[in-house]
Amino acid sequence: MRGALNRGLKVPLAVLKPEEQRRIFERLANVREIVFGVQDGVLTTAGVLAGLSGAVSGRAQIILSALASTAAGALSMGAGAYLGTRAETEVIRTEMRRARRQAKAQPYIVQESLLEQLAKEGLSREASYRVVRLLSSAPQALYSTAEEKIYGLSGGSFGNPIADGLLMGFAFLAGAVIPLLPFMMLSSVRAGLFAALATTALVLFGVGYLIEGRLAEHPHPALAGVRFLVIALGAAALGYVIGLAISPLGAAVP
Amino acid sequence: MLKPGDVAPDWDLPCAFDGRISRLRFDRIRSDMVVLFFYPHDFSFICPTEVTGFHRAQPAFRQEQTSIVGVSVDDPELHLRWSQELGGISYPLIADQDGRLARQYGVLDEREKVAMRATFILDQRRIIAYCVASSINVGRSVSETLRVVRALRSGRLCPADWQPGDEFGPLDQKF
Repeated sequence: MRGALNRGLKVPLAVLKPEEQRRIFERLANVREIVFGVQDGVLTTAGVLAGLSGAVSGRAQIILSALASTAAGALSMGAGAYLGTRAETEVIRTEMRRARRQAKAQPYIVQESLLEQLAKEGLSREASYRVVRLLSSAPQALYSTAEEKIYGLSGGSFGNPIADGLLMGFAFLAGAVIPLLPFMMLSSVRAGLFAALATTALVLFGVGYLIEGRLAEHPHPALAGVRFLVIALGAAALGYVIGLAISPLGAAVP
Repeated sequence: MLKPGDVAPDWDLPCAFDGRISRLRFDRIRSDMVVLFFYPHDFSFICPTEVTGFHRAQPAFRQEQTSIVGVSVDDPELHLRWSQELGGISYPLIADQDGRLARQYGVLDEREKVAMRATFILDQRRIIAYCVASSINVGRSVSETLRVVRALRSGRLCPADWQPGDEFGPLDQKF
């Protein structure tokens, strides 16, 4: 994937073959799984380490619990991504079949809708009519263009459930290992926790900086990194505060 | 939308007719009856079936002393190119660019700023004798319009689905 991304970034897209361009865009869409997985893996593990460091005295117990949480998290996230993509793909496929049935039964409705869409995008009505008329000479071209323009559906709309599941699971695993490693390497729980939290912050900043700042060409990459860090940590901090706020209720529960 | 019995608003607007751009004044139309049909746009995939349908049926309308006039919000140049695209249209296409005429007849879709698919049949006194409007995605029936023109011109009581040659209703009764 990195090769494809690098190629996509370094080689102007226009000089690549259409199928290669499409492949690059489809792979770029996987950024969502990577960011989601890494962010969740880092934060979940850091949270587990912080929580257990206060509650459990044995360092080995903390590490074992964090490893168990990592394994469960990676499997859960991977399975969730697999099921989510599978459901999404099925829904989109069904919608595309419905759209194609309508296109075959009432081609003029599809032609008119496509014409309206092209006119909205800046072509004159007459030019839009001629483009649609030309497309109508090859029904496959008409249907696929209509699907993209009218319904926003395309071949690229289909995710790969297995690939998405594996990517999400491994991204979670990679994210989880980051705070866990310094914790395991340092003998002191306090020092280990500090190193884990510092690494967590650094990784969150790094993900924002690299993905949104560099890959998405944010005008201020460092700002993108800080924003990612603040949002991710802010959500974690808010969760912690809510936990504190409702903790008195625990006493009332028998 | 105007209804049967209302006086038809007049107009003096540019139009495409006979391969050129000219003007058409309402009071210059001499035929007994007028079929005034509004449609949303030129260069569309639904409207041409109606526009060419009225073109093909024009001899039959002429036999009934009836003129046909098409109206949309497109400009006259576009009307001209559209009629050429369709192989020539034998009746005028009026350019109601600001939608005023469509609004006067109550058939302007204010959100889209286009005329609805509406047909008015005007009698000799230029009173609306018949009107119908349909969904923007459904083309109207030219043969039904011709049937209604014939029924109106008969001056007799015409039962449901009456066709020329069918019996009329009794002379001493009114529907």
